[in-house]
Formats: sequence, structure tokens, C-alpha cells
Amino acid sequence: MKWMLVKNDLKRNKVINFALFLFMFFSAVLAVSSIIMATQTFTSISNLYQTAQPPHFLQMHKGEINQEEIDEFMSDYDDLTYWQTNTTIAVYGESLTVVSDNRTYNLSNSQLDIALVKQNETRDLLLNSSHEKIALEEGEIGIPVLLKETYGMEIGDHVRLTSNGVSKEFVIKEFILDSMMNSTMASSTRILLSDEEFNMLEGQVGENEYLIEAYFTETSEASNFQTAYENAELPQDGQTITYTIIFLLSALTDIMTVFVLLLVSVLLIIVSFICVKYTMITTLEEEISEIGTMKAIGLPFSEIRDLYLYKYRALAAASVMGGYLLALLISSLLTKHITATFGNNRTDPLAIVLSLIGAFLVYLLIIYYCKKLLNKMKKVTVVDALVQRKGFEKDQRIKNGLYQSKKLPVNWLIGLREVFFQFKNWIIVFTVVLIAVVMILIPVNLMNTLEAPEFITYMGSSEEDILIEIENGEKLAISYENVKKVLENDGTVQHYNEFRRVRVQTTDTEKERINLTVDNGVNSGAELQYLSGKAPGAGNEIALSYLNAEKVGKGAGEQILLYVNDNPQQFIISGIYQDVTSGGYTAKAQYNFSELTAEKYTFSVNLHDQVDERDKANEWSRILGGAVTVHPMEEFINQTLGGVVKQLRMIVLASSIIGICLTILITVMFLKLRLAKDFSEIAALNAIGFSEVDIRQQYLIKTGAVAMTGILAGIVITDVLGERIVSSLLSLSGLGINKVAFISNPFIEYIICPGLLLVLILLVTWMVMKTIQNYNLISNINK
Amino acid sequence: MKTLLDVQNLGKRFEGTQVLNDINIKVTEGEFIAIMGQSGSGKSTLLYNISGMDRPTSGMVLFGGKIISKLDDKKMSEIRLKQMGFIFQHSHLLKNLSIRDNIVFPGFKAGRYPRDKINQMADALMEKTGISNVADHDIKKVSGGQLQRAGICRSLINQPKILFADEPTGALNSSTTKDVMNIINKVNTEGTTVIIVTHDAKVAARADRVVFLMDGTIHDQLKLGKYGGENELSREKRLSGWLEKQGF
Repeated sequence: MKWMLVKNDLKRNKVINFALFLFMFFSAVLAVSSIIMATQTFTSISNLYQTAQPPHFLQMHKGEINQEEIDEFMSDYDDLTYWQTNTTIAVYGESLTVVSDNRTYNLSNSQLDIALVKQNETRDLLLNSSHEKIALEEGEIGIPVLLKETYGMEIGDHVRLTSNGVSKEFVIKEFILDSMMNSTMASSTRILLSDEEFNMLEGQVGENEYLIEAYFTETSEASNFQTAYENAELPQDGQTITYTIIFLLSALTDIMTVFVLLLVSVLLIIVSFICVKYTMITTLEEEISEIGTMKAIGLPFSEIRDLYLYKYRALAAASVMGGYLLALLISSLLTKHITATFGNNRTDPLAIVLSLIGAFLVYLLIIYYCKKLLNKMKKVTVVDALVQRKGFEKDQRIKNGLYQSKKLPVNWLIGLREVFFQFKNWIIVFTVVLIAVVMILIPVNLMNTLEAPEFITYMGSSEEDILIEIENGEKLAISYENVKKVLENDGTVQHYNEFRRVRVQTTDTEKERINLTVDNGVNSGAELQYLSGKAPGAGNEIALSYLNAEKVGKGAGEQILLYVNDNPQQFIISGIYQDVTSGGYTAKAQYNFSELTAEKYTFSVNLHDQVDERDKANEWSRILGGAVTVHPMEEFINQTLGGVVKQLRMIVLASSIIGICLTILITVMFLKLRLAKDFSEIAALNAIGFSEVDIRQQYLIKTGAVAMTGILAGIVITDVLGERIVSSLLSLSGLGINKVAFISNPFIEYIICPGLLLVLILLVTWMVMKTIQNYNLISNINK
Repeated sequence: MKTLLDVQNLGKRFEGTQVLNDINIKVTEGEFIAIMGQSGSGKSTLLYNISGMDRPTSGMVLFGGKIISKLDDKKMSEIRLKQMGFIFQHSHLLKNLSIRDNIVFPGFKAGRYPRDKINQMADALMEKTGISNVADHDIKKVSGGQLQRAGICRSLINQPKILFADEPTGALNSSTTKDVMNIINKVNTEGTTVIIVTHDAKVAARADRVVFLMDGTIHDQLKLGKYGGENELSREKRLSGWLEKQGF
């Protein structure tokens, strides 16, 4: 009996039931997909980490090392479980040429530092996609997935290494998963050779560089270890990375994607519930007399409710099951990037179990919501339903006053008045447009911000044309003099600032001594964005990076005690800035710590306008040699943020597509429902002399006005909350940025994006409204 | 008297069934015609086809000497708005507008007069139909009879040449029916042509001429002459006898 009622209802209200089905279906698809993706990301990463065992602390070093000294220090350090030093051979991209079946290309345009390595024994292993340790024979080479994706390499392609007069050819045997360096943000990448060939090429094709790796009982020990390591004057001419940063650098991209997907699915579930509510109330309003009759003949409320609930249960079950199956089918597409980066292409059983639970929760949530809505029937009396035909919605007050209008055309009056006085009826379209705008604009603004030249000032650098860095300990003094000489004698240089990096000590919040690297120079910190306070002045003033300020627990204006060669010296914190260089832990001062030895020199150079930065950087790079790195600032930004920007571009594209599709889908469904509900009114309008064009115009005005309100609200929310959302996400990432002021492109934010959405919505409305031609006016007027 | 509406050989086929067949009828200016017939005889279909709300499958309809049965939606809508008035069984007022707003908006749309004048005309119509007291009310807050009167006011706001009414009293009680018909008769005596579809003999007795439809064709016609109010009973008797002959 109940099934018959459901079947009849499904036949009778095809449009409404199909719309309901779709909303529930998409909610389930998104919820299940995001659960699968989240689980798959975390299980794949943790599986990879379990097998590959990346280090908890990594010190890169260029130049000579004394392994005995390192061993001595390591063996004395408590909580250390294992250490190793890996030798790598640094090669330039131009030394590597790939020959595939149909093309030959060179890796010279790679922004990554490329290192040739051999496989480790037990830890920091390079694995294949099945998480197995790779063993190569002579003549074979293992290429990182990152390079494979960038260049489209295939197994069996030949790689020719030509450097320092040595030439050697390899065949790609495996694509390797590198637990440490599998993201563009890592800026380095490792290519695997067989032990024999590595030993043969060592010292011949490039300089040796070292990866000094340590493992602890607790990964959190890495930061204390870092202080001790630095103080012990052990090899440290290169980046220092801890486990947390390794994890973040590797997984940030995928975690961000999961996050966006989860956000979208939550938003869609909200939208879906609004739609479910709207369609249910519409159906119940239409069936108010049937409900009244059932009440009048004495059917208890619970039975009437169950009659309706049965239908919604059937709909929810079918749509959630369908959604679950579709999500399972498309999950391999969504997890493609995870599989490529972290291997392990089997869907984890945990993902299946959790997604089943997720799907069931979506079902329960829908049913709970339906029950809550159906409970409204309880309050409707027989008299309300049968005599007064009063429905579930509270009576909306009609605003009298159209007659007072002097000029506005009637179609505008009818359209705008409905939107203005009955806005509640249009809340779905408003919400969806708002969500779409926020979904599109936040990533767009973030991408614009990261791409803007001013953004460099968030990164702890000033906005100049060329950045020169000297980090090599042995040749530091000579290189410094060389750079000075080049800059002084080059007529294209407009001005330059030099900064000298020294290491002092201070105490953290737990009164433990920690190292503080300070870049000092006349102009140090002058061009940065300050979260609070200002740039350091002359005298005992110092500015701290945000992460350092957190570490020492002090703010701008407070005093800080620095130990300069163990002598305590009082400084005042002039300001706090954000920094992503050197792991985010830096400080700036004009004060010249002359008693300390420099660890690094940085020059930021501004050229005359007509000079090409790239050419100049190449020229200086040739003159100054390998010990000095010369980057055009643009390249420096690209190298540091290129991966994020690339990923963000994907996210912008994906979120724009999702946002636009969502808006179109919901607008179409909503309008279909509206038309079904409004048809007798439309027919009456047509009968009394409003043409189809007039009616279409009224709906265009209605959707246009609602869409514009939604767009405006979306822009306001993006401008007010967008920066906060992004800032809190970035501060969670531990990159050293906790506040971002969007550098937006007004043309895109205020014209292109809103204009595009509005045009699309109007186009969709126009197309849906064209369907009124196909309806029978007469049959509708008598409804 | 001039012919206002000329229906020639009108036929309507709907989903394989011939609903109307070879209908010929001439309506002169100021005339009041009632269309009667059994359920399914094609009364409402005829009304919709001659008023341009639907298109005949054969034959033609001339309104004021012009063929309207082949006009496009825009042109036909313009004629419906400015020269025709419509009353339905249910008032079909816009639910988001007050009674007054519902009456004035077709007037604003037609734009024949300044909006102030249209408001004055609406006031006069509401006064005439006795709904001035509910002018600013929400349509959900007034009775069925008041709604139907508001529907009549709306149909008259553009001073149409012809008024079409499809069972205008079908949902009303007898006393309200009488009130509504009094208004329609008054409108007719003031010069507006009226064509009404009804199954109620008392309502049809108010017309000058009654057309009886059977199986989609005009079976017979009865001329009753102008309604004056005083000869109501004798008209009704005459009509009832005639209807009996038609098998109604």
C-alpha cells in the first residue's frame, strides 16, 4: 500500500522528486568522495613514511665534511636513535637530456636543484609505486615522480648525463617516490643511480653535497636538536629541515585539495538541505487538503507523517546508494594525484569503511531533517487545511504599494517587489551564488596575492630586481669581496642593500637557550610588511619574524635579551614581521654585530629600468661562480612559491568550475520547481495580456536581482572574511605567514567574476523560461 | 450594430480528438452571449480559442475586422491586455500583491493613461463592485466573493471592448453569484460586449443570447433580448424550457 503511494507520487511529481533525488545524490557523492580522498591521503602518506622512513632532522650541506666529528656529536646526543650522512652529486638540469621515442629534450629549464644519489640501506629509502625499495642495475636510472609529471617521461626513455667531459647514458627503470622531496615546494629533487655507477661518477660530474640525517624517539625533539647542532659548529651550509616541514611540504597540496573538497561538500549539503526543505514545503502546501482529509477521517499524525516519510526514505536511500556507488567509481580519478605522489593505488579498506559510515550519516541526516520538517504537519488543524487552506509557512505580510509607483515598468515592479518582499522564497539562489562567489574569489585573490610582486615583502625579502646570496662557508669572505666589486663596477646597478647574517642566542618561553639568526644591515627589515610595530632603527633595536616572536613569547615594544658570544645584551623588539625564508625563523637589525662572524651575505639589487634582470643575473652568475647564487627576484618567487601557485591555479580552475556548475545546476532546478509552483499564476498573467517575453523578463529581473545580491554579499564576505580564513590556514601550515592582506585584481574581483556569474545565471534563466512555450496555458489556468 | 467578433468555421483538434467542429458565430458590439452545454461539450475550449488564449486548428477568428487567430504571442498579448478582459472561475490574482495592486498593474502595463488616473479608475471600480473596504488587503485575507469582484475590477481596468468570463460564478454561493452577475450586467449595459461560459441557467438567463454546444458544434441558439432585471423569472423559465429541449 505504502509502496503504491510512493510509486504514484513519484510518477505525479516527476520534476520535484527528480530535483530532490539530485540534491541528495550530489550531497552523498561529495561527502563520500571527500572521505575517501581524506582517508586515502593520510593512509598513503603514512604507509609511504612507514616504509621510506624520512629523517626527523635534515641538514643539507655544500662543501667538505668531517664525518668523525658528526658521529661524535650524534653519539653523544640523547634521544637520538639513528643517523646517517648521504652523499649526493649536484648536477645542473642542462647536464641531463632525455631521449624518448618521439622527442629529445633537456632539463635545463627545471627550477629544481637536481642531485644524483644511491639507495640507502634502511632509512630514507626511495621507493616504487608499490612502496618497495628500489634496487637498480648498472645503466638503469630512477626518476622522481615530480620530474615525470613535469616532462611526461616514460619507463624505457633514455637519460643522457653530460657533465665535465663525462658522458653516460641510462634507461629509466622506475619512477621513484621520494618521501622528502616530492613537492615543487621542496626546491630539490633526487635522481637514483645504481651503487656502482654512483661511485664511479662521484667527484667527476658535479660537486658533492651532503644530507646529514638524524632520527629521534620523538619527532618533536628535532627543534632542540637543531639548536644543539648549530651550536656545535657542525656542517651547515645549506637548508635545515625538520620532520614537520617535510610532511607539510610533501602533503600540503593534497591536504589543501581535500580541504577544498570537504568545504564544497559541506556547502553542498547545506544547499541540498535548503532545497529539500523548499521542495518538501512546496509539496506539502500543494497537498494540504489531502493532509486535512486524512486528519479529518481520524488518521493519527504519526501515520500521516510516516506516509510521507516513507517516500523520503525511499528517495534518500536510492540517492545515497547511487551517490555512494558513483563516488566509489570516481574515487580513482580524485585520488590520482595522491596515488602518483605517494604510491599505494589500492583503495584502503579504512576508506571503504569510513565512506560507508559517511554515506549512512548523510542518509540519517536527511531523514532526521525530513522528520523535523514533517513535524510541522502536527500544528496544521483540519479547519486550517480544509476550510482556510492555510499551509505550513507563516503568513507573509504583503506589502501594499505597487500602485504608488510613478515610473518603473510593470515587469520590473513585479520582479523587484517579489525579490524585495519575498526574499525568503529566493534564499536558495542567493545562498548558492554567495557560496560560488566566495569559492571562486578566495582562491583567485590568494593566487593574485602570491603572484603579485609586492608579495615578496611577506616573505621576508625586499622588493628588488635581483637577489644575491653567499652561503658557502669557506669562500664566504672572498665571494663577498667579489660580489661587492661586481656591484660597485656595474653601471646598470641603481642601488643595492647588503645584509649580513649572524647567529646570536636568546631564551624561549621555557627559558631554554635558542639560536636566533639576525640579518643586519643599514636597510635591514625596512621594506617588509609588519604585523605590529615597525622596522628596526639604529641602536639596540631588533625586528623578529612571527615564528621567532611566538617562540620567545614577546611582542613589539618589549625588551629581549640577546647573548652575543655569550655576553648578554638588551635589545628592544621594534616590530614583528612575517617570513617564509629560512623556515620562518629570522630577525632583522641595523645594529652591526661586528664581533660575530658572518654566516651568510645577501644583496638585494635594484637595476636601472631598461636593464633585463634575467640577463644581468646570468651574467653575474657566470662571473661570480658556483659559490654565489644570483636570482632575479621573479625567479626567486617562482622557485619558492611556483608549486603552490601552480596548485592554486588548479584549485582556482576547479573551484570556479564547481562554483559555476553548482550555480547553474541549482538555478535550473530551483527555477523548474518555481515554474511548477507558479504555473497557474504565469498562465493567468499570460491570459490577461502579459506576453511570454514579459514573463521571461520578470523572471530574469527576479533571478538577476537575487544573483546580484548574492554576488555583492559574496564579495563583502570575501573581502571581510577571506583574508582571515586564508590567514588562519596559512598560520596553521607553519610556513611563517599568519596574516595576508589580499592583493586583489579589482578588474577580476569586481567585474569579470561577478559579470560572468551574472551573465551565466541570466542565460540559464532565459533558457529555462523558454520552456514555458511548451506548456499548455489553458490546462494550467484551470489548476 | 457592428460585428466585434467573427468566428468562421472554427475547429479544434486536441490529442487526436476533434473538440470543436465548424463553429460559426458573430458577436455584435455591446452584445451579451452565454455559452452553455454539457461537460466536455467544448464550451471553455471555444472561449479560449475565440479570445486568443488558444489557437484553433482550422478556421479563423476576426476581432474588430482583423484576423487574430494567427497572431504571434506578443501581438495577441497586446490585444488581450488592451482590448479584452478575462474573468476566471478562480480569481487568479497575484498572491504577492494587495487587492488594489492586483487591479492596477494591468493598467500600468497597458499605459493608456497616467498612473494617477489608473488609480482613480481602480478606486471607482472597487467602489462600484463594493470592495473599497478591502482595497489594501492581502488577497489571502478576503472572501471568495471579494476576490472574484477584484478579478472583475482587474479585467475592466483597461476598459476592454469585450469581456470573456469562464464560469465566473462556479465557486460562489447564490447570493454572491447574484451580486457578481449584477456587476457584469451593469458593465454590459455600459457598452462592453460580454461572452460568458456557464452551466448555471440563472446566470445564462442574464444574457441576450444563449448558444448551446453539443459535441463540439453549435446545436442551437436562443435569443432572450436585453436583460432588464424586472423580467428575470420569465427569462429563466423560457431558458429552462429551451434547455430541456436540448437535453440539458
